[in-house]
Amino acid sequence: VDERTRQKWDTASRTFDLFAFGEERRFGPHKRRLFSKIRGETLMVAAGTGNDFQCLPPGQRLLAIDISPKMLERAGKKAAAYSGSIELREMDVCALPLPDASFDTVATVCTFCSVPRPVAGLRELHRVLKPGGQLLMFEHVRSRIGVLGVLLDLMTSLSRRLGPELNRDTVGNVLKAGFTLRREENIYLDIVKIIEATKQPAPFATP
Amino acid sequence: MYFVIGDYAAGMLIGALTAAGVRAILWPGIDMVIAMLLGMALGMVIAMLLGFLLSPLLGMFYTMIPAMLIGMWGGMLFGMRDAMEANSSSLGSATAVGALFGTILVLAIKTYDRILQGSVVDIGD
Repeated sequence: VDERTRQKWDTASRTFDLFAFGEERRFGPHKRRLFSKIRGETLMVAAGTGNDFQCLPPGQRLLAIDISPKMLERAGKKAAAYSGSIELREMDVCALPLPDASFDTVATVCTFCSVPRPVAGLRELHRVLKPGGQLLMFEHVRSRIGVLGVLLDLMTSLSRRLGPELNRDTVGNVLKAGFTLRREENIYLDIVKIIEATKQPAPFATP
Repeated sequence: MYFVIGDYAAGMLIGALTAAGVRAILWPGIDMVIAMLLGMALGMVIAMLLGFLLSPLLGMFYTMIPAMLIGMWGGMLFGMRDAMEANSSSLGSATAVGALFGTILVLAIKTYDRILQGSVVDIGD
């Protein structure tokens, strides 16, 4: 487990919900629309303090993981209030102690801005997804617009000390990890995005 | 409506405070290149602080992106203006122009956001 990352997010958990008011109201409807596609066995990565549980469709059964035990402590109440069943477990997305091909859906919200080795984390998600399984992501990425990209690079030098990096190429990382991109949608400028990808179904067996 | 008013109010506030901050530290006759660079640096610091304070109410990205652009461009322009003593002689008129600049930039970002919104890739289910 990446101790440095864990400590950073344990510290951030104290003030994490302070920033939720505006974010949830502005992005909540988009997250609900994305998560309405959840089906089957579902893994939610980087559950944080559980703010996104309210965006899940009712009655689902899912495993929600986070690297930070302090985040998960705060998520406990929100998981209990959810109409379905959410199991919370402490895990590092780069080393998941989960069997291959065990989930139909993996959902992430602003996760791969914070994972130190994003391609390694995404490869783990690819491993635990069943063939044909879907990856549903709500993420922020580096802008391809010149001045905005440079601003995000500058801001990252500060933001990475306390929380996320603002200049990740998450769409590129999803492709590097072996997924097939199904949909990419801009939510705010070209920075906040919905990314949907799939793990290729297994090829037909030849006799 | 809360967010529409909030976004414009935040832009006006950041623009006005950037203009006031630049007016406070620069003086007429300072080299224009130095005025631009100092204005830009100060504008970005003010924008970052204010953006961070306002982001719990308006959302981190919706606050920080306009704030940084207003601080960077506004700081440069206000710095050049104050170095040249080009109009806006009173602090009141300088901050009013700053607020107007902030409003226009928020409008421009909102317009650009609308243009960019939607699917970039969609190969269906």
